[in-house]
Amino acid sequence: MKQKTAIAAGASLAALVGLAAIAQQQDGAESVEGLTVLGKAVTAEEIATGRDIYAETCASCHGAKLEGQPDWKRRLDNGRMPAPPHDETGHTWHHADKDLFRITKLGVGGVVPGYESDMPGFGGTLSDAEIAAVLVYIKSTWPERQRTFQAQVTANSEGGS
Amino acid sequence: MMGSEMRIHSTDISRRGMLGAGLAGVGLLVLPRRLRAAGPGEAPMTALTFDGDALLAAGPGLYRREDAGGNWTASPAPSGILALATHPERPGRIVAGLAEGGVALSEDGGRSWEARNVALAEGEVAAVSVAAGNSDMIYAAVRGDGLWKSEDAGRTWAFAMDRPWLDEAERDVLALASVDLASGMGGIWIYAGTETGLTRVPDCFCRWQDVQPGNAMDALAAGDAPPSTAPLPPGEPVQALASAPAPPGTLYAALPSGIWASGDGGVIWARMLSGAASAVAVHPDDEMRVVAAVDGALQQSRDGGVTWSVLAAA
Ligand code: HEC
Repeated sequence: MKQKTAIAAGASLAALVGLAAIAQQQDGAESVEGLTVLGKAVTAEEIATGRDIYAETCASCHGAKLEGQPDWKRRLDNGRMPAPPHDETGHTWHHADKDLFRITKLGVGGVVPGYESDMPGFGGTLSDAEIAAVLVYIKSTWPERQRTFQAQVTANSEGGS
Repeated sequence: MMGSEMRIHSTDISRRGMLGAGLAGVGLLVLPRRLRAAGPGEAPMTALTFDGDALLAAGPGLYRREDAGGNWTASPAPSGILALATHPERPGRIVAGLAEGGVALSEDGGRSWEARNVALAEGEVAAVSVAAGNSDMIYAAVRGDGLWKSEDAGRTWAFAMDRPWLDEAERDVLALASVDLASGMGGIWIYAGTETGLTRVPDCFCRWQDVQPGNAMDALAAGDAPPSTAPLPPGEPVQALASAPAPPGTLYAALPSGIWASGDGGVIWARMLSGAASAVAVHPDDEMRVVAAVDGALQQSRDGGVTWSVLAAA
């Protein structure tokens, strides 16, 4: 934990700071089997919180049923891409937990330097724990195949960079 | 091979008839010298690819040469081939992108062809690529439309991704290469040469992004100077791309300014040969063996582009 804090402090991007904080909020509640976020077990309560935050903060673009904007593979007139689905028909499940966290906190520029998009960064409006909760809710909706795939991508990203 | 076995586009039979009448009946022939001169090299080649040791060259027609030093033979291919792709683990399978639209596929090294257009958008197909990890996965770029993918060797197609957005506009893709470098998104990269330069998309089709050094994000996060790069000349069209199966970071690109090479997945490029380049291919088992169409002639290199010799001149 100490080491993590030290690395994060040196970083000019604040994205990583939250990872440690989230670790502390699991006190006792029953964790949901087969589902983690950022390396931590999650509770049913957390998923429920995430569902509410999703409905309030993300659904307007990504769809109430996580279905994305209509015709989401086609670019808008402004040159930007529409909001993709977060269910298994999209590509959210191709991203490691830490990348999903960065995208939600900082916008897509948080993982692709200089990338312009209509995805706002929520660092100013959602706490790190709230971001983690939304991600857990999204992940909880995926079928087995997508969950396993994404868990592997997450594991690889921790080994690698 | 009998003429009746050649399943080619009906429109091509008549068009080819003129050149092919004397040849088609008896199948593959070694071209007479006179015809050979009218083979690869006469007009700018639009596409080159290796099928094992054999080399295929598309221009006004399609020609095949079994191995270095062998003779060229004309293949009864659809006309207007703009792009060719093969896969090292699937010898004989040739994928062609056509000027008239659609994709054609051969399973016998180019001797017979079938249209593979079901559900594919109409429009010129200037680029095709076979996924490095799956010889049934084919990508095609449709002009004015975007990137399509087929998971069943072209039998059915699905829209995958809109065209890339570069310099404030959508750009047509002229070249595609499946590059076996991890994307960090559970797959590998697809590199695309466009009217205005190089870009790439992970094979999840998550988003187009510039080619950047793997540690670019870490450097940004740490406030360090960005890693050094030497990109292709900005704004120049990338007519063709070739990726060596191994090591997969070995790339060659054909531009109006020449043949360029990269050894690190496209972060640092160097010009290996000057001249208007229209096509390039790399041998599946030897990343140093390159064939390129430059200034209307076929050039070959056995040392990664350091030295070149003419293979078939105009
Ligand atoms: C104003 C519209 C809007 C809102 C609100 C919004 N998003 Fe997005 N989001 C987008 C767009 C547009 C993209 C696609 C960006 C691109 O690729 O250009 C995107 C992409 C993403 C991605 C990347 C998906 C991928 O596979 O590449 C994630 C993750 C994401 N959003 C999470 C969220 C979460 C979580 C919320 C709610 C907290 C949210 N978004 C709210 C518009 C929005």
